[in-house]
Amino acid sequence: MQTENQVNDLYPIAVLIDELKHDEITYRLNALERLSTIALALGPERTRDELIPFLDESIDDEDEVLSALADQLGNFVDYVGGPEYAHVLLSPLENLAATEETVVRDKAVDSLNKVCICLSQEQLEQYFVPLVQRLSTAEWFTSRASSAGLYCAAYSQSENPAVKVSLRQSFSHLCHDEAPMVRRPAATNCAKFVFLVTKQEAIDEFIPLFNSLSNDDQDSVRLLSFDIMVSLAEVLKSDSEIRHYLLQPLRSFVSDSSWRTRYMVAANFVKLAKVVGPSLIKDELIKPFVLLMKDTEQEVRRAIATQIPGFCELLDKRIVLEEIIPVIQELINDPAQHVRAALGMNIGALAPQLGKEKTTEYLLPMFLELLKDENPEVRLNIISKLEVVNKVVGIELLSQSLLPAIVTLAEDKQWRVRLAIIDYIPLLAQQLGVEFFNEKMGNLCMSWLEDHVYSIREAAIKNLRKLTEIFGLEWATETIIPKFLAMRSHPNYLYRMTTIFAISEIAPALNAEVIEKQILPTLEQLVNDPIPNIRFNVAKAFEVLKPVLAAGGDSTVYEQQIIPLLEQLTKDNDPDVQYFATQALEQTND
Amino acid sequence: MSIDPANDSKLAPEANDATLGDVDRWIEQLKKCEPLSEADVEMLCDKAREVLCQENNVQPVRNPVTVCGDIHGQFHDLMELFKIGGDVPDMNYLFMGDYVDRGYHSVETVSLLVAMKLRYPNRITILRGNHESRQITQVYGFYDECLRKYGSANVWKHFTNLFDYFPLTALIEDRIFCLHGGLSPSIDSLDHVRTLDRVQEVPHEGPMCDLLWSDPDDRCGWGISPRGAGYTFGQDISETFNHANGLSLTARAHQLVMEGFNWAHDGDVVTIFSAPNYCYRCGNQAAILEVDDTMNQVFLQFDPAPREGEPVIARRTPDYFL
Repeated sequence: MQTENQVNDLYPIAVLIDELKHDEITYRLNALERLSTIALALGPERTRDELIPFLDESIDDEDEVLSALADQLGNFVDYVGGPEYAHVLLSPLENLAATEETVVRDKAVDSLNKVCICLSQEQLEQYFVPLVQRLSTAEWFTSRASSAGLYCAAYSQSENPAVKVSLRQSFSHLCHDEAPMVRRPAATNCAKFVFLVTKQEAIDEFIPLFNSLSNDDQDSVRLLSFDIMVSLAEVLKSDSEIRHYLLQPLRSFVSDSSWRTRYMVAANFVKLAKVVGPSLIKDELIKPFVLLMKDTEQEVRRAIATQIPGFCELLDKRIVLEEIIPVIQELINDPAQHVRAALGMNIGALAPQLGKEKTTEYLLPMFLELLKDENPEVRLNIISKLEVVNKVVGIELLSQSLLPAIVTLAEDKQWRVRLAIIDYIPLLAQQLGVEFFNEKMGNLCMSWLEDHVYSIREAAIKNLRKLTEIFGLEWATETIIPKFLAMRSHPNYLYRMTTIFAISEIAPALNAEVIEKQILPTLEQLVNDPIPNIRFNVAKAFEVLKPVLAAGGDSTVYEQQIIPLLEQLTKDNDPDVQYFATQALEQTND
Repeated sequence: MSIDPANDSKLAPEANDATLGDVDRWIEQLKKCEPLSEADVEMLCDKAREVLCQENNVQPVRNPVTVCGDIHGQFHDLMELFKIGGDVPDMNYLFMGDYVDRGYHSVETVSLLVAMKLRYPNRITILRGNHESRQITQVYGFYDECLRKYGSANVWKHFTNLFDYFPLTALIEDRIFCLHGGLSPSIDSLDHVRTLDRVQEVPHEGPMCDLLWSDPDDRCGWGISPRGAGYTFGQDISETFNHANGLSLTARAHQLVMEGFNWAHDGDVVTIFSAPNYCYRCGNQAAILEVDDTMNQVFLQFDPAPREGEPVIARRTPDYFL
C-alpha cells in the first residue's frame, strides 16, 4: 500500500512536524492543535514508536505549549492503537505532571485520569500504580502535589485488595506531607476518596486523616478539609456517628481564627446541613449559622446570606421566626453594601415558608428598608425578587405598601433600576385596576417615553403595548395614543422617533379604524420629515400596519394611502430610506 | 507561512462579493461578540476601503448625530453605549477613534464598527485615532489579540491597512469640528486639513500626527506634549481656530476624563471619553454627546455594562495601584 501517492500525502505531515519544532511559539501551538491529524496520518504504530517519543523529548518547552500537549494526550488512546497500547501515553504525561507550572500539571493529571479509565488490571498494576507511587515519593513537591489527583482514578479502577491497601497507605503519607502545596491537593482529593472506601475504612483511616488536615497550621489546608467533613458525614449517615466523630471539628470550623476558613463554612452551609439530617440541624447547626451571620468579616456575612433560603427551608417556621429573622433584621443595616445586596437577593425566598401574615409582618418592612438603600445594586436585587413575595402576600398588599417606594425608584438615577421597575408595571396594572392605575401611575408611564436613555424609552413603549392588552383598546385610544402622537411635532427628532416606535409596537394591538383615524395622519406628516432616520422608520411602520389593516377586511386604505407614500420613499435621496421603503413594498407584495 | 486549509480560499477566484445580507449577518454575529473568520475580515476590509476612500479628510456630517470618544476594545461597554444612545441605523453616530488596544475585545469592536460603516455609510462615521496605527497596536494589544484569536497577523494587517483610509476629522453642520486629538501649529484652517494626504501610517510628526495626538492645556499658546507626539494648545489657540473657521465647538477624545466629558477653554473645546472604567480599573464614567436636529447638545453618562459570571469583588483595588 505504500505508494508514491502516500508519500506525497505525508508531505503536509512533515511540515506539521517541522512546525512542532518551529522557533515561533504560535506555530508550535498551531501544530499541537492538529496533533491528532498527524497521528491519524502516521498510523498507530508510528505514532507509538516515533511521535510519542518525540513529544516526550520535547518536554522542555514553554508552559503554553506544554499545557496544550498535556491536554491533547488525554484524548490520544485511539491514535496509539486503542486501550491495549494506552500505557505508552503514561511516560510523557508523567513528565508533564512533574513540571513547575500548575496549569500544565493540572492538565496532565486530568489526562492521566482519562487514560487510566481505559487501562486493564495488568496495565494498571504494571504501569499506572507504580507511576502514582513514583510521583508520590518524588523529591520535588510538584510531582507529589500532582500525584494526589491520581489516587481516586487508580483506586476505583483497581480490583486488587493488596493494591488498594497500598494506595490508601501512600495517600495517607501525602496528607501528612511536609509541604502545604501537597497537603492542599491531598485534602481536596481526600473529600472524593472517602466515597471510594468502605464505611469502616473511612472511620479507621480517613477520620484520622481528616482530623490531622482540619487541624493543619495552614488555613489554606484547613479550609479545604471542610469538604472532607461533608463527605464523611455523607458516608457515616448515622446521626450518632456523625455526632461522635464530626461535632468537635464542626465547632472549631465555625470559630476558626482565619476568616477564609469561616468563609468556606459559610459558603457551603446548606450542603453540610442537607447531609447531616434534621436532628443534627436542630441541635447543632442553628447556633453556628447565627454566629456566621454575626461574623466580624463582611465576606463571611455575605456568603452566609446566600445560604439563608436553603437553610431556612430545612428548619421549622417557628425556629426561623425566633432565631433567624431577628438576626436578618440586624443585617439589613450592615455597613457593607455587598452583604445588603446578598440579603436583597435572598430573603424574598423566605416568603413562601413564612406565609402571608408573617411575611407582611417581618419581610415587608425589611423590603421597604432595602428599597431605600443607597446602593443601586441592593435596590435592584430587591425589585428583581418582588415576584416571589407577590405570590405570597398578593399584589394588593404589596402594592399598597410598596407603591410609594416604587414611584420613587421610577426616577432612580440608575437606568437599570428604572428598567426593572418598568418590567414590573404590567403586573401592578393588572391588580390595581384602571382607575387606580390612571391616577397613580399613568403620568409615570408616559414620562418614561421622554427618558434620556434609549433602552428606557424602548421599554416604556413595550410597556404601553402590554397595558393596552390589559386595559383594552378604548383605554389606549383615550389615554396613551393621543399622548405619544402629540410628540410627532416635537422639535427634537428623538421624540418624533418615539412616536413612530410606539406606533410600530402598539399597532398590532389596535384595529383598522383606530389606525385609519389616528395613526395614519401622523405617519403622513412624518413621511416628509427632514430627518432620514424618521423617514425610514415610517417605512418600517407601514410594514407593520399592513396585516392589521388587512385583518379589518378592507385593503383600499392600504392600497390608496400607504402604497403611494412608500413609493414616494423609494425615490428618497437617502439610500437607507430607499432601502427600507423597498423592503416594505416587497414585503407587502407577498 | 503556516499551511492552513482555510487559506486555500485565497487561491480561488475573487468571486466573493459581500452582499447586504452578508454584512447584516456579520453585524448580527459580531453583536454576539463572536469574531468573523479571517476570510470574512479580508472581504470586510476590502469593501470598507471602497467606502472610506470616498470620504473627506474633513468629513461633513449632518445632525442629528451622537458623538462618541475612545472605546479601546471594551466591547461590552460599546454594547452598553448602544443601549444608552440607541442602535444603528435608527440613530446616527460619529466615533472619534481609538477602537482598539487595551481592552479584551479589540477585534470584535473594530470589526463591528467597520461592518456598520460598510452597511450604513450615511448613518455612522468612524474617524482615525492615534491607536489606529501599525506602530501603536504592536505595543498596546491589538496585534497580540489578532495573533491569539487568528493564529497569524493577517487580520491585523487587513485592519491596519484599512486604518490608513479612515478620515481624520469630521464637521457637523459646519459648526462642530470633531477629531481624535487636537489642533496643530501647522494648521490654521479646515481647508488645510482637507489638503493633507491621509492615506499613510500615522507619521511621527507634522500636521496629521498632531490632529491625532494633541491635547488642550491650561497654559496659553503651543506647548511640548508629554506624550512625545503632538502638542498642547491653550485657550487662545482654540479661540482663534474656532473663530477663523466659523466653528462653535471643537469636540475631541484621546484623554481619560472621570465624568466621561470635560469642558475646556471656556466652552471652545470638549473632551468626550466613551470607555467606562477604562482598562477595567480606572473607575471613570463614560459619556456620549447627542446633538439633535436643533443643534441642541445633551451629554449622556454611563457606567460599565454588568458582566455576567464575573465574581463580585467586595474589596475594591486601592487607589494607589492605579
